[in-house]
Amino acid sequence: MSGIWRELYQLVHPQVLAVVGASATGVTPGNEFIRHSQALGFRGRIVPIHPNAPFVEGLPAVKSFKDIQEIVDLAYIAIKADDVPDVIAAAAGKVRYAQVMSSGFGEVAGGRALEQRLIQAARAAGVRLLGPNCLGVYSPRGRISFIGGTSEEAGSVGVITQSGGLAADVILRGQNRGLRYSAVVTLGNSADVGPTELIEYFLSNPETNVIGLYAEDIKDGRAFFRTLRKACGVKPVVALVGGQTNQGRRAAASHTGSLASRTEIWRGLAHQTGIVIVDTLEQFLDVMLAFQTLVPSGERITQRCVVFGNGGGTSVLAADAFDRRGIDVMPLPPMAIAKLEALRLPPGTAIGNPIDAPTLTLRQEDGRIAERILDIVLTHGEPDAVVMHLNLPMFMRAADQRADFLQNLIDALIRVRGRHSSVHFALVLRSDGSEACERRRREFRDVAVRKAVPVYDEMANVADALAGIAFYERYGLKRDAPAM
Amino acid sequence: MGGGGERQVIDLTSQKTFAVARTQGRRVLDELSAKSILSAYGITVPRGVKVPPHCEPALDSIAPPFVAKLISPDVIHKSDIGGVRVGLPDASAACRAVRNIEELAYTRGMRLDCVLVEEMAPPGLELVIGGIIDPRFGPVLMLGFGGVFVEILKDTAFRVCPITRWDAEDMVNGLRGAPLLRGVRGTQAVDLRLIMETLLALGGDDGLLISLQDEIAELDINPLIVSAKGAYACDARIVLAAPMEP
Repeated sequence: MSGIWRELYQLVHPQVLAVVGASATGVTPGNEFIRHSQALGFRGRIVPIHPNAPFVEGLPAVKSFKDIQEIVDLAYIAIKADDVPDVIAAAAGKVRYAQVMSSGFGEVAGGRALEQRLIQAARAAGVRLLGPNCLGVYSPRGRISFIGGTSEEAGSVGVITQSGGLAADVILRGQNRGLRYSAVVTLGNSADVGPTELIEYFLSNPETNVIGLYAEDIKDGRAFFRTLRKACGVKPVVALVGGQTNQGRRAAASHTGSLASRTEIWRGLAHQTGIVIVDTLEQFLDVMLAFQTLVPSGERITQRCVVFGNGGGTSVLAADAFDRRGIDVMPLPPMAIAKLEALRLPPGTAIGNPIDAPTLTLRQEDGRIAERILDIVLTHGEPDAVVMHLNLPMFMRAADQRADFLQNLIDALIRVRGRHSSVHFALVLRSDGSEACERRRREFRDVAVRKAVPVYDEMANVADALAGIAFYERYGLKRDAPAM
Repeated sequence: MGGGGERQVIDLTSQKTFAVARTQGRRVLDELSAKSILSAYGITVPRGVKVPPHCEPALDSIAPPFVAKLISPDVIHKSDIGGVRVGLPDASAACRAVRNIEELAYTRGMRLDCVLVEEMAPPGLELVIGGIIDPRFGPVLMLGFGGVFVEILKDTAFRVCPITRWDAEDMVNGLRGAPLLRGVRGTQAVDLRLIMETLLALGGDDGLLISLQDEIAELDINPLIVSAKGAYACDARIVLAAPMEP
């Protein structure tokens, strides 16, 4: 177990928490942290530090760090910025990690000096610093959280973000998409612990298989590059990089200088390290979900995709979206077509690729027809990926409710998926936004994601997801090939 | 590349060139100095001779066709003002070009260091290879199609240094115009290995950008003319790093 692993493990799995800035009467971020961690079932000890109240949140409070017997793994600090350096100084020898929620440091005009004082205080006290200006850590295994409503279920995705607000989106929206986290760590100004150190941790942490990074400013760019380069893409890293268009870097005196934008440098770095760069929060979640559920191939690059479902226009637009992302929706081979024709599907079914099957077709055998179609596609079509798309209201609003067609269709996909582990399966469930559809989609999503079938809202989302997988697979194969 | 000792000498010599340029108050190395540095790091530059003002060019050591270029601390874009003459078929044409360039300098009131007469590189495709020292990621290397394409089409590939042989190959293959390098419709393929060697000499483990990252802010080789016969750094500029804050 390497040093970094051991150290940061305690941050994500703390036994003793101290909270500075929780109120005995009101609700501050400190109180939020206590309550949300308790709600997640935190099993260690929480010690509020308060100047005079004997109890905070029903927990016995102490006046200072020195009144705590044990070593504090994580001290949550949410008080006036000016007071933070002194509190950190008083934590010497008592605290491993101090997470400073307070803002008013380097991120504001004139706050640099205070941030320097904070860094010096932490260094002198031997305390590692998270933040300042960061919301904190969500760790389902460590059972701590800075926001409410987080899932108790631990997963394999580790996220590092330099924005706390975005972390809330990642956690809450992400968990509704089926993402499950090993930990989400916000770093704010990254005055001490930075993204590189966290990436090293997640790379070596066996609970984590996928790493997500939201970066605004990587101060130690070279160490960051070296770490990722050394990792050789052993775990997928998905990166959303903010502030890329904010150039203002140089009055260039050369072509190279005028062309060298941050976007270009990050793109180059992606080619060198295999990290997958995305442009939006949606893509960030979509691609992380793909890596959580699908196993990237070490032998081939996801290229050929079979699209199967109801909705002619949707199929056509899907083929376009896939094409733009470098994924082929190629016609099926003659043998597959012959076998599909032999099924004698109702008129209006387009057998090719996309396989456009109207609801009438999908209702055959109460929906179990999907299993036979998919088996033929997988046996004779040799796809790298299969995407099934279903327009939920077309089934839910239909007069024909003889059977739970949707359930049967999705069960069929999951059964076929179980027989073909080397192919990427994804499901697109299209909703009309009604409460009934959304509820149904959520239920299906929960089941499918657990069976390693990621579920997406639209075809463009799955195109982004598969393109992310393909980029990572391409890196892996290139890396193993000898250079010229 | 030679052994460690030889390498140290190259690094030291190059650093001296930068020191001299700084004492002269220059922000940009002249073409001659830039090329001597490139050459020291293993990048092929055309053979050439310096012709000091009013001197007869001694061109016995190089072979036509020639190119003549104005070297002046007052000129950055020398071709824009007619300071470059290409396709000079023999020594007498080169002599005339040298005199013309000298005249041009005097009429424009520009200081004249010398006129550089070089062998013209064999015809080929024009690439640009460059580097910058990024405040976050350090030395960064660029490869792109040169000439007008670099600015309009922006067909470029960037990599953080040091690059590996594998990165160099990936950069070349990543250009949209890569098929041009392999030959299209009867045009001859260029030697891709030579491009990769140049990329490595600049951005590799012990390449120029890593070795001289404290001296340099930006660097352009534009054009690098590549053919089946060779890859020649035909023009180069090196922008000096701003002096360290005391």
